[in-house]
Amino acid sequence: MKVEDNTISEEANVLPSLQHTLDNFKDCMDLVHRTFPSIDVSLVYFGHLVGSDALYQDVVLPLTTAHENEVQTQLTRNQFKQTTDSKTLIKGILSGEAAIFHKDNAYLIDLFKPDARSIQQSEAEAVITGPHDSFIETASANLSLIRRRIKSSHLKAIKLEVGEVTKSTLYLLYIEGIANMEYVRELTNRINLIEIDAVHDGNMLIQYIDDFPNSVFPLFSTTERTDTAVSKLVAGRIIGVLDGSPSVFAAPSSFFEFMASPDDYYQRWTTGTAIRILRFIALIITLTFTAFYVSVTTYHYEMIPEALLLTITQSRSKVPFPPIYEALLMEVTIELLREAGARLPTKIGQTIGIVGGIVIGQAAVQAGFTSNILIIAVASSAIASFVIPSYVMSASIRLIRFGLIIMAGILGDFGIALGIAYLVVHLSGLTSLNSSYLTPVSPNNFNDWRDVFIRAPFWALRRRPTQSRSANVVRNRMKK
Amino acid sequence: MKEKLHPFHISVLVFMIQCGVVIFFLPRLLAQHMGYNGWVSLLFFSAIAAFNICLISIVYRLGNGRSIFQIFEQSLPRLLTFPIYTFLIGVWTILGCIAAKQYIIIFQVFVFPTTPPMYMKLLFDIIACSLIIKGIYNISKAATVFFWLVIWTILLLLFFIKGFEWVNLTPFFFHESSNTIAGGLSIFTAFLGYELTLLLFPYVDPKKGFIKAVYFGNLLTTLTYLGVSFICYGFYSFNQLTKMKFPLIDLLAYIRFPFIERVENIFIAMYLITSLMSMTMYIWAATETAQSLIPKANKRWIAVVLVCAAYAVSWFPDVLSEVELWLKYFGYMAVGIAFGLPLMLIAILVIHNGGRKIA
Repeated sequence: MKVEDNTISEEANVLPSLQHTLDNFKDCMDLVHRTFPSIDVSLVYFGHLVGSDALYQDVVLPLTTAHENEVQTQLTRNQFKQTTDSKTLIKGILSGEAAIFHKDNAYLIDLFKPDARSIQQSEAEAVITGPHDSFIETASANLSLIRRRIKSSHLKAIKLEVGEVTKSTLYLLYIEGIANMEYVRELTNRINLIEIDAVHDGNMLIQYIDDFPNSVFPLFSTTERTDTAVSKLVAGRIIGVLDGSPSVFAAPSSFFEFMASPDDYYQRWTTGTAIRILRFIALIITLTFTAFYVSVTTYHYEMIPEALLLTITQSRSKVPFPPIYEALLMEVTIELLREAGARLPTKIGQTIGIVGGIVIGQAAVQAGFTSNILIIAVASSAIASFVIPSYVMSASIRLIRFGLIIMAGILGDFGIALGIAYLVVHLSGLTSLNSSYLTPVSPNNFNDWRDVFIRAPFWALRRRPTQSRSANVVRNRMKK
Repeated sequence: MKEKLHPFHISVLVFMIQCGVVIFFLPRLLAQHMGYNGWVSLLFFSAIAAFNICLISIVYRLGNGRSIFQIFEQSLPRLLTFPIYTFLIGVWTILGCIAAKQYIIIFQVFVFPTTPPMYMKLLFDIIACSLIIKGIYNISKAATVFFWLVIWTILLLLFFIKGFEWVNLTPFFFHESSNTIAGGLSIFTAFLGYELTLLLFPYVDPKKGFIKAVYFGNLLTTLTYLGVSFICYGFYSFNQLTKMKFPLIDLLAYIRFPFIERVENIFIAMYLITSLMSMTMYIWAATETAQSLIPKANKRWIAVVLVCAAYAVSWFPDVLSEVELWLKYFGYMAVGIAFGLPLMLIAILVIHNGGRKIA
């Protein structure tokens, strides 16, 4: 449903006039209206959107020093755009332009300079080595961060608008000659079809434009890191910079892309590879460790070696619940701790960690609510889940883990196998911008495996990812 | 653009359809029917399968990549195609569901003796159904992931190098073989699955090596079967092998780690995916056939109806011996289809083409 926007008049092509403009902004007390009666000029703008220095230098000073007959000449300078319809004028004022009314004419001058957060390190995607600057909520600053890194006229930006009420600006960035234009068109179409009153964040936006909004998995990757965004552009992907959000999305994406971190490239390739393999092990641990504990302690005690069996049975002897309840109890507790820790200020968050980790963990075992071994299993799964670099993906994986635990509680190893089979079936059906989400495993492309399961030395990373369907596939012509 | 199956995916798909629960007891079948060093006979069966694939390749070339249903419908009256299609749907659906039931019962015997197998089968069928309705391209994608999830288990055979005794192999070949023809037919059913590539013609890229990929898939299955059977022949004595119900499962039970043992539980569970793929592909083939029979019907609904029908049929055989009996007879029929269908199609194409050269 199209959202009616009362703020901006839908009447097209009304000649702009001061009165009409002021009527439109009636009750908007943050609007500044200045008049210069001696030269018959009125100025309308939002003080918090325009830069005061620029306003003084480019508008106030030239106009106040000019004689009445010189005003017209001043306004013909190219930074002043004459506007002939009221809609454009109002939109301009809302976008940080100042409107100048002189006699029957109206002009706009771009003075947009809003207050913005300074560029800081990303908290969600911290790295040890590598650049530390990250995107902020202002699209222009984010574009500047990208343009500073890609000094090429081939970097193109399509300006779009999302949100019927908020009219947020979205820039789709791609590198001409590297990105596949079919993807660019498809993404532009999808964005143009969004009809919603407001989009507040890049992570929210992608849920409107991805291929399977009901899937638990994020189908487009998002990042707050400039180097990541740039690397995606160079890999032939398209990125979207939404004004008001520090999260930039990249499309198309594959499941395995969420397992990569910029750190992998800034370290020696052997270290990078080891860390990447560790992440895949972490993925397996997160998904199956607790489920496997439940399965073994419920149905398959024969799988535990004799020496370990004693420890486990002793540990479980005081626990009155079946393993599945015990596991779900602890998993929910861990999730509660994580959620509480995420919402609270850092200092209190630390306290929550201590309270949760030591007090609840220790007390739960002593009280006979849970076994020591389960605490280890649950804690390992939780730690492993945080090894996955993407927070959104890590959250999805954690949710799926609950399904596997329940399946393990019902049908043991068979339940886990069924759960994993269903997961694979689901993943196989997913696409990101109409390309397979499981690429490069399925469709198989061994060439791409070098930058997925391992981080091969740079000389071996010659081609852009197949998923980009780039016309310019070679990215590295260097010899070893 | 309609996605086409890549040769690698075709190979994987063929391997995943062929390789099923039969791998658990193939060494026993070989020992019982082919005698000493019966594993060598796998090369002979593989060659027969390769010959059959050759027949399929002739159909592919003569038909210029047309779907087999198009070939039938352009040459035969509906009165004739109707019983053929019905027969194919029946055999493939039942074969798929009984193969799955066999896996479920084996799992039940080993792990969950008190759990009703049809309850487990229901969950299994739901996953199979959700995969079938996604279409062949997504099935092949899932097959590729499943392939990587199971293929590494071949490396576990390295565990048995220490216990492998060359003396167990003996210098005799096919000595003490019995019931060779019927047994051989049962062994050959282990290779079945490649015949479903007859239905892949419209989904493959004609410029890429489709038939080579099918051969490669068959080769992969052969090597896997050879590896497993060879190790079993060397690890167990011949007499042991003939008496063990599931030699591979017993073999895996020898693997012990400091933190886990009886890992065969995990591997039986893991082999769920190979059975899942076999069932999925057979019922997918039946769905494709049913679609040709009733072109106006929705393919998704056909798949759902066939899976439900398959589930209903799988209630009938209760115990493993009954399942094996069903599998034996439907396996024979499937062998008949594997050879009969391409031969029939070749005959139709030759008559229809009026003796024109193979394209």
